[in-house]
Amino acid sequence: MEQRVRPDLAEAHALSLVHVASPGATLTAERRMQVGHVARAAYLDADPPPPWVRPFGDLTLDVGHRLARHAGTITQQWYEQILKEGMDALEWVEIVGVVVATVPVVAFARAIGSPIPVMAVFADGPPTGRIAHPLATATLNWVPVAAPADQVASVVQALSALPDEWSNLWRLASAQYMSDAQMADPLWNRGTLSRAQMELVAARISLVRECFF
Amino acid sequence: MLSWSSTAAGTPADIGAIADDGREAGLPFSAELIAFAQAIGGWDDAALATARTALAAAAGEAFMVDAAAVVANFEMMTREADGTGARFAPATAGPRAAAAEQLGIQGFTSAR
Repeated sequence: MEQRVRPDLAEAHALSLVHVASPGATLTAERRMQVGHVARAAYLDADPPPPWVRPFGDLTLDVGHRLARHAGTITQQWYEQILKEGMDALEWVEIVGVVVATVPVVAFARAIGSPIPVMAVFADGPPTGRIAHPLATATLNWVPVAAPADQVASVVQALSALPDEWSNLWRLASAQYMSDAQMADPLWNRGTLSRAQMELVAARISLVRECFF
Repeated sequence: MLSWSSTAAGTPADIGAIADDGREAGLPFSAELIAFAQAIGGWDDAALATARTALAAAAGEAFMVDAAAVVANFEMMTREADGTGARFAPATAGPRAAAAEQLGIQGFTSAR
């Protein structure tokens, strides 16, 4: 099965799983792996608990679970409630980064009928502390972002507080979809799907996930 | 994006097909593509296998794999947007609201 996947796409997915298994800005590699395992299982669960259930009694894992399986139900109120319960906003951003590093790899393998990849072995070590400086409060996102805020689209600045999460997401996007530069050309394509066909499937999965954005 | 790209290509698509299986998007393999994306979004492995086979048979295996990659990308981007409370900038909110009304998605929890 592997040989039919473009090499750049296979590499981006492999690097993403290594990224999950590496120390992050606020979380150890071991903790990130736990979030990755939760995200993988939540995504594949044919009969998940409803969105309001916190299956783990552990803020980090419960946020990871809801993001992986019920992201469209997350409200600003719930985000703020989790922060009130003690989570740091940058940890929230890192959990988003780990979930979005895990789910597309799993989703793609399932979609094409390949075995679901095993998670990488984690690299030991403390959090890196790599955080953008200065940070800013945004009006286009709930989460803190790299300053200056709101100069680019909300999905572009969303993970900018944590540069490693930002880089991994945009490496995946370039391989799975297209790069920023290619996005500006409405006719750009890889020789398989036309740009319009790409947008059609993008829109349908976004609808299925009840993602307004 | 669908409207923009399809119009630029000279074959304007019916964006109503995004939400309505009874409408034809007007693009090659659109029915197979929509069925594949819908099946990836569900948890019925047999239905997914059927949709995968149908798309590959109609358009080729490389086409199916690239379609899966695009869907995977939006499994990522939807979670990024919803997990960070992403909103449209004021300049784009108006046109997006009109499209949302056409698709009947204004009631989504994620509408901000």
